[in-house]
Amino acid sequence: MTDARALSRIELLQGTLDLIILQTLRWGPRHGYGIAQMIRSSSADVLQVDTGSLYPALHRLERKGWIAASWSTSENNQRVRVYTLTAKGGKQLERERSQWEQLSRAMGAILAPPARSEP
Amino acid sequence: MTPPDDEIREEIEAHLRLAITEKMARGASREDAERAARQEFGNVTHVAEVTREAGYSLWLERLSQDLRYGWRALRRTPAFTTVAVATLALAIGANSAVFTVVNSVLLAPLPFRDPGSLYVASFIPTNIPFELPPSLDDKVYVDYRRRATRLTTITGYQQQDVTLSNPGEATRLPCGLIAATFFDVLGVQPVLGRGFTADDEHPGSQAVVILSDHLWRTRFGADRGILGKAITIDGVPQVVVGVMPPGFDFPDASELWSPLSLPTSPNISTFLSVVGRLPADATPAQALAELEAIAQPKPPDPRARRGDRFAARVIPLKDAVIGSGRTPLLVFAGAVGFVLLIACANVANLLLIRSATRRHEMAVRVALGASRSRIARQLLTESVMLALMGGAAGSFVAIGGVRALLAIAPLDRIPRVDEVHVNGWVLAFTLAVSVVTGILFGLAPARSGARHEPQEALGQGARLVSGPHQRLRSVLVTGEIALALILLTGAGLMIKSFVRMRMLDTGYNASGVVAMSVELPSTAYPDSTRQRAFHAQLLDRLAHIPGASEVAAASFRPMSQVGVMGSLVVDGPVKPPDQYSVDKPVVSTGYFTTMGIRILAGRDFTPADRAGAPGVVIVSEAVAHQLWPSEDAVGKRVAEGTGRPGPVKWLTVIGVVSDIVQDGSLDRHSTVYFPYLQTATRWMTFVVRPASGVKVASAMRAALREVDPAVPAQSLETMDQSMMENIAEPVFQMRVLATFALLALLLAVIGTYGVLAYDITERTREIGLRLALGATPGTVLRMVLGRTAVLALLGAGIGMAGALALTRLLSKSLFEVRPNDPSTLIGVSVVLFLAALAAGYLPARRATRISAMTALLHD
Repeated sequence: MTDARALSRIELLQGTLDLIILQTLRWGPRHGYGIAQMIRSSSADVLQVDTGSLYPALHRLERKGWIAASWSTSENNQRVRVYTLTAKGGKQLERERSQWEQLSRAMGAILAPPARSEP
Repeated sequence: MTPPDDEIREEIEAHLRLAITEKMARGASREDAERAARQEFGNVTHVAEVTREAGYSLWLERLSQDLRYGWRALRRTPAFTTVAVATLALAIGANSAVFTVVNSVLLAPLPFRDPGSLYVASFIPTNIPFELPPSLDDKVYVDYRRRATRLTTITGYQQQDVTLSNPGEATRLPCGLIAATFFDVLGVQPVLGRGFTADDEHPGSQAVVILSDHLWRTRFGADRGILGKAITIDGVPQVVVGVMPPGFDFPDASELWSPLSLPTSPNISTFLSVVGRLPADATPAQALAELEAIAQPKPPDPRARRGDRFAARVIPLKDAVIGSGRTPLLVFAGAVGFVLLIACANVANLLLIRSATRRHEMAVRVALGASRSRIARQLLTESVMLALMGGAAGSFVAIGGVRALLAIAPLDRIPRVDEVHVNGWVLAFTLAVSVVTGILFGLAPARSGARHEPQEALGQGARLVSGPHQRLRSVLVTGEIALALILLTGAGLMIKSFVRMRMLDTGYNASGVVAMSVELPSTAYPDSTRQRAFHAQLLDRLAHIPGASEVAAASFRPMSQVGVMGSLVVDGPVKPPDQYSVDKPVVSTGYFTTMGIRILAGRDFTPADRAGAPGVVIVSEAVAHQLWPSEDAVGKRVAEGTGRPGPVKWLTVIGVVSDIVQDGSLDRHSTVYFPYLQTATRWMTFVVRPASGVKVASAMRAALREVDPAVPAQSLETMDQSMMENIAEPVFQMRVLATFALLALLLAVIGTYGVLAYDITERTREIGLRLALGATPGTVLRMVLGRTAVLALLGAGIGMAGALALTRLLSKSLFEVRPNDPSTLIGVSVVLFLAALAAGYLPARRATRISAMTALLHD
């Protein structure tokens, strides 16, 4: 639990949370609680998103037009705010994903064991 | 945009309920589930708050990001930033300075109650040789005030200089002569005492006067006890009944006000300014129609028979106050606007060049996912930042500029000049101009900056690409040259006109002559005997001043802005042309030699030409030529026109003198001179030609004091000063336009230089290749200069068309130069062309020194 908290702090440093949210919404519209649960389960409980980061991020992404929000009723008859990925958000996701991949490759190369790898 | 607080709350509560439901579904009790859910969620209030802020702060965050980024970018290139900010500061500052004057003079409302509904009624003859200000004949005024219904609460006023002689030294002051209703109509009341009443206007009632705040403070030490006390004006004691509020000096810088008295004789008429209020339900056109119906002379009115043409006008009071001051100010505003456009083009060019060097940086940002619009916005933010910095610095330039403008302005020729100052409107104008300017010069670079294709810029071919930018830069330079040419043409025309004025043969040569005007009060000097005695005595005193080589007097002298004109009757078969009118000065013996007016035939007046002796006159060349083209004028007889049939007093022509230029219009006037010993006049200007190097002004003043200490000198100045005063307005316009034109030329030259220099840098490889392939440095020089010449010629061509269209605005200020004067146009085009070539020469020389090796290794 404490570890997970610490991890969530790290990933909040950069726009990575945005990337995760966009990626989550790729599978369909979801409310805030659902997004939090999804992130948690798909990272095998490693990442737990602070609500104090999640909701501001959702509203920020909404302002940027990358996701859209609407009120609807959940499966157990609760009024919830549901977020959907927009076309613009889809493109942004592609861009951020490729950036992320570049970064993680670079990080991987830097942090790789000293055994020299041929290019 | 941002969901309201309760929506965020609702969203959070939904989150908690979902969590609780899920936990209970897993078997937790409701209590445990609630506690766990709340604990997991954290501080509800805090989350709600940061979520709300995220919505609000996004654009702020972007803006501050853009600003920070822009600031860093500008700091990285201090030379660019300095040049751009300095250019903008000059241009924006000059615009704010001109706007300060335009705002105070043209835009700000007059300081009266509901000034927009104040209109001036005017009915003046149009076929007279001089221009009357908008006014009504006093008879028409009385009639109109009684009968008018479209214009209500009508009042009238005049202005004249009076002498305040007690307490203190005798001084000439501008005095408003006003109808009793004047202050009521304007809606301004004395702060001390009372205004005038109808009783004050009756002849024979106690003479009363109202003081301006300025006069009250400077002359009477702001003494409240002045009310009810008498001061001496034009030799008559008048009781002070009121003091006006600070700043009120209408009309035309009045220092005091007296009741208006209209002539009682039906044969004498005077023109006065007439103001009334136009009610909301009436239009100026209706008021005009009514004025025409009331004022139109009908037979048997002698004016109708004489065929005078009258024009009726109803114009806003503000227009009447501003008068001819409008055109030059608008010309200045246009000219300084051109300077700003040139500055914009220059900075846009700098930005384009800079953006070319930042291509790599932009491409990286695009590759990293920045959107085009984001980059365009970033670049635009940078240019607006530049402009705001320029505007801030420009505010200081504006304050200095306003001081400089007012310092060289002929003060009495700019209406409302005392109201000119930098205020909130000016600062708002500066801010608005800065933002608009920033967008204007930033738009092109921002658009092209965002167009970069990453692969193009990141690839090695980048340095060979110059296509669209180069064209844009050429367009900007061409535009700059065109605008500069228009301004140079305007300035050139004004300078040529000024030279013409200075080289003009005025018909007299009074350089060094000192002139002192004296008006005798009719109370102390009621008849011609006493007036002549005074004049003779003062002439005698002046002649005894050491170093006064020649002394004379005239009822009005050239360039004095006053004069007496009238008609002429000729003895014999000669009939003067219709409406024939000549200047009629009264002069003393020796006036012609003192003033350097050539005597062409006959003789000067002598002391023998006095009252009782045969009446004599001296005519100017134009009169002699017009009346007796093939005969000797000397010995012919003329008389002053009386407008009535019957006997006239014949006067013999004893001499002919050269025509002289009489006023600022610089036309030569037909003149008939009368000897002062045969004519009465209360106005006299004494002229003294000092021996070289001698100062006589204070001795002249002393001589006047010795003859009568109660009579002040109205003016005391050299004839050269007087000439400069008469042409002060065109000279002022010339100086302002020349300053703007020089600024424009400088900016255009810098712009041309910058673009060509950058071209050379971009084409280093190509030029090196050409040199390597056998091109001589001469060919390269010609190539670069050729491009400069094409740009300059194109710009000059467009500029000439613009100049031909715009210089018409100057025609009123030009003397003996037509606005489309070809030699000026060609002259300034050549100057501009040479300046542009010079700007291109430096980069061209550098191009010839490119070595093929370096060029090919350029990458």
